[in-house]
Amino acid sequence: MWWWIPLRSLWRNRRRTLISLAIIAFGTAISLFVLAFLDNARDQIRDVSVAEYGNLQIASPLLFDDEAEGYEYLLTPDRVELLNALLRNEPSYVASTVQLEFPGLAASGNQTQVVRLRAIEPANGLLDFGEYVVEGRELRPDDLASALVGRALADLLSLEVGDAITVTLTTVDGAYNASPLVIAGIYGFSSEQVESQVLLVPLRFGQLLLNTNGIDRVIVELDRIEATDAAAARIEAGLADAEPPLEVRTWEDLSPIYQQLSSYFDLLFGFLTLAISVLVFFIILQVLTLAFLERTREIGTLRALGTTRGEVFRLFFSESAWLAVLGSLIGILGGILLSLGFNALGIEWLPPGTVEPSVLGTRVGPLTVLLPFLVSLVATLLSALYPALQAARLRVVDALRVE
Amino acid sequence: MLKAQKSFRTHIGFFGRRNTGKSSLINMLTGIDRPTSGEIWVGPHAVHQMSEDEIASWRGRNVGVVFQFFQLLPMLTCAQNVMLPMDFANRYGSTREMRERALHLLDQVGIAGHADKLPSAVSGGQRQRVAIARALITRPKIVLADEPTANLDSETGGSVMELMRGLNEEHCVTFLIVTHDPAVSDYGERHIRIHDGSLREES
Repeated sequence: MWWWIPLRSLWRNRRRTLISLAIIAFGTAISLFVLAFLDNARDQIRDVSVAEYGNLQIASPLLFDDEAEGYEYLLTPDRVELLNALLRNEPSYVASTVQLEFPGLAASGNQTQVVRLRAIEPANGLLDFGEYVVEGRELRPDDLASALVGRALADLLSLEVGDAITVTLTTVDGAYNASPLVIAGIYGFSSEQVESQVLLVPLRFGQLLLNTNGIDRVIVELDRIEATDAAAARIEAGLADAEPPLEVRTWEDLSPIYQQLSSYFDLLFGFLTLAISVLVFFIILQVLTLAFLERTREIGTLRALGTTRGEVFRLFFSESAWLAVLGSLIGILGGILLSLGFNALGIEWLPPGTVEPSVLGTRVGPLTVLLPFLVSLVATLLSALYPALQAARLRVVDALRVE
Repeated sequence: MLKAQKSFRTHIGFFGRRNTGKSSLINMLTGIDRPTSGEIWVGPHAVHQMSEDEIASWRGRNVGVVFQFFQLLPMLTCAQNVMLPMDFANRYGSTREMRERALHLLDQVGIAGHADKLPSAVSGGQRQRVAIARALITRPKIVLADEPTANLDSETGGSVMELMRGLNEEHCVTFLIVTHDPAVSDYGERHIRIHDGSLREES
């Protein structure tokens, strides 16, 4: 009868039970929805970061820390070959490519812009920007003095596909160099910074411009994002004796905006959940305190029939536990429906620093469900502690006298 | 000192005017209330020395209580109310066995047909019969009843008293009944008057 009495009590006070369940469910549903929304936003930023940086990058610490005075961080072809041999042993390895990035000036007519020339392996399939070309064509392996330009930079320099520009730069030897380039295509990318600054050229041409056969980084694609940290650790272990030293950085290390936004999302969710939990706590505390107060005589009867204080506490606490579990479960169901409904709306927005609109959505995963459920459960059970203790502490004779 | 016969088949009536301490006496005998001084012994048990939880367990197993206002739990059926003390005492077999015993007792008090009704669906007299069945369910040696007929009309009250006297003989249980109603006190084998704080046995 231990489980029966609390259930019957809840059924007897249906209105109060429904109000309590609604409050708990509402709090849980809102928590779930907010968490699902933030998780989805976090995933979108993660995907953009991986698209921009790859899963991993391997380079000299001088490059990552921006401490080099010249180009001493460049990796020679034989070091790249050794690195590739190491990468092929990595279980989650899918593909790799190399890059060489350097500053320069791009001029068209009487307009000049500071740009980052990024020399890539054309048609490599990994960070070759082929999928982002919105006009013209992607770079081909046999291209030389060709370039892909971002939409924003094309607007700034009034460029169209087939136009010629001149790039000027300083070689690794410190000499001045300049060369004409033909715009093979225009790309669109989620990051406005990339679109307005990065000019993509074939690796062969980039090395020619810079007068080197080296590259500055190896970019690695893994079979899944979740494998990144473990793969980074294994590769780092394999590079422990490399001289000069090499460093592995993950997409997360390379994307400060992801780290900042992720921390901000955690803070936002924590604050919202705390506020909702406190609200649920106090409302349920008041509801249960009043409910138990109304049943003082019932408590007296139970005690007079031989129930110990612990048993009275258990009875009333389990009544709250039923409320907590049922309310949280209803809230989870409501939250999932709310999230799915929101996804169906397909609302678009333009995240800061991006040029492509993103669809606002939610992602419901095991943690998105578990966390709000547990938070509501704990908040409700904590709110039940005081009234249940009060009920257990009542003197039988006083409880029986209550009219 | 109040002594019941060893056979535990006594029917003792306490009577006296209102506010003379009759209910306080019952409450202290059951451990529901504590004496500010003195000792309470029920058989070999020193009730005044027990802790709250010891008293509760002892009361659940050894004492049946019948209240003036019946004190049935409104969300449980009559049968479930009767089963309640057995459930708390946790030593009376399976739920099925407990229900069988509850139905047997409800049959003895004449309301087996109302076993699955809620207390709100039966009359005051029937509720008091449920309360009597509940008091007897754990086979206590002593049943204390505090003004058991005060909320019943005289005819129903009379039938409840008859019932208790019959059960007193049938179950070998001592009934201590507190009342201010002289008509009720007539049902007792022993009559004890409470007056000015003292007990006086009357013939």
